[in-house]
Parts: sequence; structure tokens; C-alpha cells
Amino acid sequence: MKRVINGRFLLRELLYSKKQAAIYILCVSLSLVSLIAVNSFKRDIDRSISGDARALHGGDIILHSHYDLSQGLQRAVVGLTEGKKATAVRTRAFYSVARKSDESGSLLCNIKVVENGYPLYGRVDLASGREFSQVVGAGKIVVGQGVLDRLGIVVGDQLLIGKSLFEIADVILYESAKPVRFFNIGPPVLVSYKDLAGMDLVKQGSRVAYETLLKMADATTVDTVAARLRERGLVGQERVETFRDAGSGIKHFFDNLLFFLSLISVCTLLLAGIGIESSLSAILRLKEKNFAIIRSFGATGAYLLRHYLLFVLILSAVGTALGIAVGLLVKGYLSVLLSDFLPPDIVFRASAADLSEGVVVGLMVVLFFTFLPLWRINNIKPAVIFRSESSRAKKSFTYYLCIVLGFSGLCVLLIRYLGEVSTGFYFLGGILLLLLLVTLMTRLILYFLSKIKWRRPGARLAMRSLLRPGNVTQSIVVTLAIPLALLLIIYLVENNLRGTYIDSFPADAPTLFCLDIQKNQQEAFLGLVGGKVTLHPVIRARLISINGKVVNRGRELKKRRDNLAREFNLTYRDALLEDEILVAGKRLFRKDEKGEPIIQVSLLDTVAEMGDMKLGDILQFNIQGVEMEVEVTSIRSRTRSMLYPFFYFIFPEKYLREAPQTYFAALHVESEEIPFLENRIVQGFPNISTINIAETAKEMGRMMQKLSKIVNFFAAFSILAGGLIIVSSILATRFERIKEAVYYKILGADSRFVLHIFFLENLLLGLLSSVFAIVMAQAAAWSLCHFFLGISYAPGWGACLGLVGLTIIFVVILGLLGSIPIIRKKPAQFLRQLN
Amino acid sequence: METLLETRDLSKLYSIGERKIQVLQSVSLTVQEGEFVVISGSSGSGKTTLLSLLSGLDRPSSGRIILDGQDITDLTEDQLAPVRNQLTGFVFQAFHLIPSLNSLENIMFPAELQGDQKAKEKAEQLLERVGLSQRSNNFPEQLSGGEKQRVAICRALINEPKIIFADEPTGNLDSENSDGIIELLRGIHQAQNATIVMATHNKAIAENADRIFHLHDGRLSVER
Ligand SMILES: Nc1ncnc2c1ncn2[C@@H]1O[C@H](COP(=O)(O)OP(=O)(O)O)[C@@H](O)[C@H]1O
Ligand SMILES: [Mg+2]
Repeated sequence: MKRVINGRFLLRELLYSKKQAAIYILCVSLSLVSLIAVNSFKRDIDRSISGDARALHGGDIILHSHYDLSQGLQRAVVGLTEGKKATAVRTRAFYSVARKSDESGSLLCNIKVVENGYPLYGRVDLASGREFSQVVGAGKIVVGQGVLDRLGIVVGDQLLIGKSLFEIADVILYESAKPVRFFNIGPPVLVSYKDLAGMDLVKQGSRVAYETLLKMADATTVDTVAARLRERGLVGQERVETFRDAGSGIKHFFDNLLFFLSLISVCTLLLAGIGIESSLSAILRLKEKNFAIIRSFGATGAYLLRHYLLFVLILSAVGTALGIAVGLLVKGYLSVLLSDFLPPDIVFRASAADLSEGVVVGLMVVLFFTFLPLWRINNIKPAVIFRSESSRAKKSFTYYLCIVLGFSGLCVLLIRYLGEVSTGFYFLGGILLLLLLVTLMTRLILYFLSKIKWRRPGARLAMRSLLRPGNVTQSIVVTLAIPLALLLIIYLVENNLRGTYIDSFPADAPTLFCLDIQKNQQEAFLGLVGGKVTLHPVIRARLISINGKVVNRGRELKKRRDNLAREFNLTYRDALLEDEILVAGKRLFRKDEKGEPIIQVSLLDTVAEMGDMKLGDILQFNIQGVEMEVEVTSIRSRTRSMLYPFFYFIFPEKYLREAPQTYFAALHVESEEIPFLENRIVQGFPNISTINIAETAKEMGRMMQKLSKIVNFFAAFSILAGGLIIVSSILATRFERIKEAVYYKILGADSRFVLHIFFLENLLLGLLSSVFAIVMAQAAAWSLCHFFLGISYAPGWGACLGLVGLTIIFVVILGLLGSIPIIRKKPAQFLRQLN
Repeated sequence: METLLETRDLSKLYSIGERKIQVLQSVSLTVQEGEFVVISGSSGSGKTTLLSLLSGLDRPSSGRIILDGQDITDLTEDQLAPVRNQLTGFVFQAFHLIPSLNSLENIMFPAELQGDQKAKEKAEQLLERVGLSQRSNNFPEQLSGGEKQRVAICRALINEPKIIFADEPTGNLDSENSDGIIELLRGIHQAQNATIVMATHNKAIAENADRIFHLHDGRLSVER
């Protein structure tokens, strides 16, 4: 009976190529690790943060505004509640400074005034375990632990907010509406609606978020009711959302972070794929002669293919198991790294369903890259035995068709996995373009090197072995350059962000922002801070349309950076600030015949880019109910760090002087003095909010450090994949290298000469890869900083030089390590192997 | 005539795990300058092993090798480099040409290693002598077996070594090409009075030698 599978043959094959098999396994697991970690983490986040969207947003329908509800909407809500169709609760949230009762300390707090019945969904856990509704009432508030800690007070003590004196009744342990504390500037304070008027904080132009939360008696009516309410609301001022479509800053943050990590994972995945291809090719190349011999005995291509499929299957299974295990470990580490950003009650799970998506995507990649080399087995002709050089299997049209189809399928899968068609498309396209560019550049440079007549035999030999047909030079350079470029891009962008926002915190930059200064407080405020402080008028407004095209709110809010749908702060003045320059338009404002400025607006270049706005465009604003059409007559740019206050839109004074407005001041105070000054300001003007910018910048720096640690951690997997590919190609070309080294030796070359050649060869490999990586990274990082982040760019050549150095050292050491035994041992044994 | 190569009680043991195989047993041999010596013996008798020891490509288990008055037995690889480059030339059964260099460059290589300015001219002359001038730009994979071996011989000759080792130089060739190669080696021997030590299991080829030794069961005996 003919045996279908020859077990002994299979085992021999496995053992014979164990090093390359190990690399294959590592590449398979590497392709899964970050995918699984990110994916499973994403599921946990989804479940715990946005899983209960009603609790997060506090209602079925959320009415959002910066003013009291308009009459129409107000009536509609009353109609719903009186008809028992819904329960409604009003909240108002704003920042304000709370003071100790003896005025000896103060702290900016995140204050939310809530009506009876709050929360409609979710919960507010208090330290004492009592019900929230029983504790908070007239004169009684609950606060976050941060208030007590920072002010040095305890439950039962009193706290001044605005004009009211409150008793601290309890401590908030957890709030469904704020599962993560990290993103709030101040600690939370919950106040009863009964005390709203008494505090006397909500003044004209104050930045207060007015929310009316609705809980529908019949859950199926949510969408229809929401649609009806939406019709009643004032466009550009009132927003009606359901718990399903409402945005959340936290979710946005995690979406962005995880999307970014997914991109890096996909990069790792593709590199690991290349590693899979190259290690399997190496295994098969070693055996080409074997195959030919076996086939000349009459074994069919199917016989070989069957054994090798099983062979690959066994290795892939081991790699997959390893990948899943390490992926889960990495996820654990990710949650440790991110612990500051995570809700305290997050549940980590690793269900089969969570893993499946990552595993499927990963395995498709494995399958694709495994297919390429396996194809060759089928096409090996017995004639290969008679040729001394290894054959290059003929690749048919079907082969290329399979590649094209397979790769397209893979791209679709990856774009689906990333979940964003255009970004995913650009990303994959970008990677392909990079691959193509590096390949072409490598070809070109190798071509020119081959044209040079090298006089020294060492240099000539090194060059010749780099140019050897079938050599891996090109694939090594490409696969090393891409992850290096990736790492460098991340480093450069992070460094520039840090440079812009944190390190270069200019010595005279403002350290304290004061917001919501009322018109009648101007003189007194200036007297108190005592200085030549500029008060910038602030008028809040929304951008309705550009040249008649309505700003698409849904699309804007999805943007990963600043968007045009948010409420903007307009200002008016008739001159440029000292750090502003005009980049379009002859002067800030155009004048009419009488020398009076016409109604018009000056844009900051960053906002002009966001909306593709040019000189002459007509913008329509809604300024607190009043609509205003203006022409863009100049575009400004700023010469200083973004830490100085800036305004996107400037109007001529004449047109906004009478609009409802507050004032904004940016003060420069030594950091130690800030708390005292803040204290004095809020004692005098309880409604003014102060933000300690120096502290905020430090906090941001800490946060960025944490995030960059995570990003670097994931990028390291890409580097690892690149490293594996190098090791694989060195192993694959070991035989060639041994051969050459032995030949040099028997002809009388000493160890210095042999090392010299290997050194030159690897030096060139390392140099090419790192230089390409730098070229690509500089281009990409510059574009990111310039077009996407809108910050100035410093190329960081020091780091680039470091990268060149490290890469060369790594590649040279790896290359030389393999050649040491050849140098030390007698050539006779190697010669015997070569026969 | 001077003694160029001398061995004393040369033996070689290979160990495979616990087992030891004695391939050579106290082989003593003297080769005079200008001699054409043939080592004959059946396949597996140890010819390649012996030539490797004589030329310093391998280290004996015991015994000594004196080449041109110098004991090379314990030299390090780096100390052996100039010996291999200038004193000896080696022609292999499997040619062993450097695949990334063309014919001319393969031949030039040993001369270039010692910084010879005339390497190219010498190599061209040698190629012409073996009738391969038109093949100077061809790479080894583009040459036939006979052509490869002729290039290999040129390469062994370029530094005018005192002694040439040839290990079954015709082993991979057909009879016509074999005759050509043997003719070439004999010509070199006669024209330059070169010393040649050649291993072969072919009796007919052995006829050309001044002296013939026979290897059997690890022992060397004089046949002629
Ligand atoms: N590295 C080795 N390990 C074990 N045995 C070896 C080794 N190299 C050669 N031999 C054995 O030594 C003997 C002589 O080999 P070799 O010198 O190649 O013979 P020849 O060149 O005369 O055919 C053979 O029996 C061979 O099996
Ligand atoms: Mg032999």
C-alpha cells in the first residue's frame, strides 16, 4: 500500500532546517502578537467605556447647548415630560475655582450642577455607600477625592464656590458619565440645581455646557423623538443626539490611540509576512536538490507539496499558539502602561470571539506569504540536479495572477480591519509606495556601484558579492529600511511635538490663563494682576458655512484633529499681534472709501488649511443667534510657539464691539507664584476661571511620555520583524558566504582580508538601509508635522546619525558573527562540505 | 636537487562520535624540487586527506610537515596565508572558482592579494596560454568543466608557486578534457620545472609521473 504521508521524511525535513524553521515560527507569531494585543484591548475598551453608552452619556436623548434651551425646544421637552413619554433632567457643567472657607486655598474644579433625578442612567458611587439623591441637596455637595487632597480638607468641611458656601457631604468614587478621570482638567464637584442661582457663576458669555437629558418611557421611540426635537432646535446652537450617535472625548482618545497602534500592527504584520516568505524560501532553497532527486525517483509534485504543506502547517500552528500567548501577555502589559487612562472597573477578557478577528487577519497574511515559496515546489524539474547553480523556478502567468489577487484580497481585509477606508487605503498605498521606492533606489545604487571599477581587490570582492545574482541585498535593504523608517518617523514626530509644546516652553510664555472676565471687571482685574496685560475680547460663535456650503458636522467631528464644527472664540482688533505675520492679503483688513473697514474676517493659516479657505471666500457665522456673513480678506501665520494665545478668526472692532463677550488674559507668572495669584483672582472675581498652563504643560509632557512609550513598544515589534528577516537572510546565504571565505583562504588570504570583505559588505548594507530609512522618515515626519499637526519641524539629525551608527553596528556584528568559525577553522572540512 | 616537501610519521584520525577512523597511518614522504609525483589509490583511500595535510589546508593528528624548509604543522591560519598564496598552488577536483568573479579576475586574485601590480597582464598571458582569451569575461557558471579547470590551473600558477597540488584534477571531466588537462600540467612541469603532487585513482594518468606512490589502508607505499 502506498503511504500518503511519510512521517520519517517529514521529521527529517523539520530537523534538518531547524534554524530557518524557528525564524518562520517567530515570524508567524510576530505577525499575530500586536494584532491580537491591540484588537483584544480594543474590545475591552469598547465594552467598558462605550459599552453602556446610555450610562456614559446619561440619557437616551441628549440636548446640548451653550445657552438655555430655545423656546421651541423647551416646549417640546415639556410636552414630552407632561405626557409621561419621557423623564428629563437638566445639568450645567463649567469650570470654576473652589475656595476653602477661610480663603487660604483654591482649586479649579469641574463643576456640574444637576437637577433632581440625576443620573437617569448609570450611577454615582459615593464613599459612604449612600444613594446620591439622598446626599446632594441644597447647600450640600459631593466632590472628587482630588478636591480634599489638594486643598487639605475633609468631608464635613466647607467650600466656597462662586458666592455660595457649601458643605462637603461625601466623596465621589465613580461616575458613569466620567469613567476616566485623566481627561478632566479639575476634580469633579456635583452640586444641586437648587444652588445654581446662589453661586451666581453663570454669567453672559461664560463657558457653560447646558444639557438636558431625556429618558424615554418607550425605548423604541428614541430615534423618532430625537428627529422631531432636532427639527425644533436652533441650527448651529442646539444639538440633539441619541446615546448611540453622541460623541465622547474618551472614546475619541482611545479610538485615535488604538487606530494608530493598529496601523503599526499592520506594518509589523506585513514585515513579518516578508520574514515568513524569506525564511520559507530559504528552507526550500536548501532542499531544491533534494526535491529534484526525490522527483527523479518518481515522486509526484503533489507528494512533495503534501509533505511540505503539512510541514508548514505544523510550524504555523506552533507559531500561532505562541503568537496568541504572547499577544495576550502584551495586552496585559498594554493595560499596565495605560492604567492612568483606564476606568477603574475595566474588565479584561480574552474570549475566543475577541481573538478571532486578529487571528483570522494574521493567518490570512501567513497564508499569502507562505503560498509564494510553496508554489515553487510544484514546479521543480528533476533537471535541477544537473545544474550546479540553484535554479530559478519559472513563474507562470497563473502565479502572478494569484499574487495580484491574493494581495488585493489582503489589502481589502486589512482596510476592513483598520475600519477606515480612506486612511487604510492611503496607509497601505504609502507602504507599497515606500517598498517600491526603496527597491528602485536600491537597484539604482547597486547599478551604479557595479559600474565603478574598484581597484582594490577587497572592495571589488565586497561589491561583487553584494551584486551577486540571486543575492538578498535588495530584500535586506528594503525590509530593514521600512521598520527603521517607521521607528524614526515616530521618534521625529514625537520629538517635534515635545519640542513645540513642552521642552521649548519659552521663558516668557504665559503660565496662567484667565477666562470669562466680564466687561465690567476689566479695570479691577487689571488692577489686581497689576501689569501690562492684554485683555482679548472673546465672542463665541459657530461657523455655519463656507461659500454657502454648510459645514458637515458629522464629518468634522470624525476628524482626528481640530474640527470646524466646534464652537470657536472670535475676537476683534485692528492690528496684528507682535508674533503674527500676514501670509495672504496686503493688510489685516481692507478699508472702504471712507477709510472704514468693511465687514470681513482675518484667518489664522491653520484654520484656513482645515477648511481649505482662501482669500475672498465668504464665511457665515452664527454669533449667539445672530448670523453674519463675512469675506476672508487676510490670512495670518504665527512665528512663536503655540503656547501663546491665538485666535483663528479676527474681526474689525467695529462689527463685534457690541456682541456679548468676555475677556481672556494670558499672564506670565513664576510657577511658584501661580497658586497665590489664582487665589487672589478668584477671591476678587469668583466667576473668572484660571488655568495653570505651566502645570498643564508638565502634565501633558508626562502623558506624552506614557503614550510614546506605548507607541515605541509596538514599533519595536516591527524592528524585531526586520531583525528576523536579516537573520534569516544571513542564514540563507551562509552557505554562499562560507564558500567564498574558504576560497579566499585557500588562495592565501588572511583573516584580516576576509573580515575586511565581510565588513565592507555589511557596512554597505547597513548604510544603504539606514540612509533610505532616514530619507523616507524625514519626508514622512515633515509632512505629518507640517500638514497634519501644523507645528514647526526640526529634523533631529543627531538621532538620524545615531540610527545610521546603530544599524551599521547591528548589521556588521550579525554579519561578522556568522563568519568567525570560517576564519578560525581549517579549510579542509569546509571544502569537503562544498563537494 | 633539494628536498621541497618532507613529512614524518603523518597520521590522521577522524572521530565520528565515539568511533575513530584512522585514515592515514604514519605516512612518510619526501618530494624533491622539480619532481612530478603521483599519489594513487582507490576512492576513499585518503588521497584528498593527505593532500590537504601536505598543503596546510588541514592539520594532522600527529607527525610533522616540512615545506620548503619550514615546519608548517603548527602554523596558525594567518601564518599559513602567505604560504598558500606564494609557496603552493592547489587545483581541486571540483574547481572551486569564486562564483562572483569572472575568469580573468579569478586568476588575478592571488596576485592581487600580494599587491602585484602586473596581476592583470600575468593573468591575461596565462589565459592565452591555455587558449581561453575569449573567455576572460565569463563567469564560472558560464564555463564548461574543462574550461573551469584550465582557469583553476592558471589561478594556481599566477604567483609562480614552488609546488602545485592537484587533487584528482580530471575527476569531474570527460576523457578528452582529461587528456588536455594532464597535457597542460605536464607541459608546466617540463617548461618551468615545476614541482607537482597529484592525486588520482586513474592508472593511465599516473603513467606520466616521475614517481608513483600508492595509498592503501591508510599506509603509503612506493609503487615506482
Ligand atoms: N570529516 C570526516 N569525518 C569522518 N570521516 C571522514 C571525514 N573526511 C573524510 N573521511 C573519511 O576518510 C576517508 C578518506 O577520504 P578522502 O581523503 O576523501 O579519500 P579519497 O580522496 O582518496 O577518495 C574516507 O573513508 C572518508 O569517509
Ligand atoms: Mg578525494
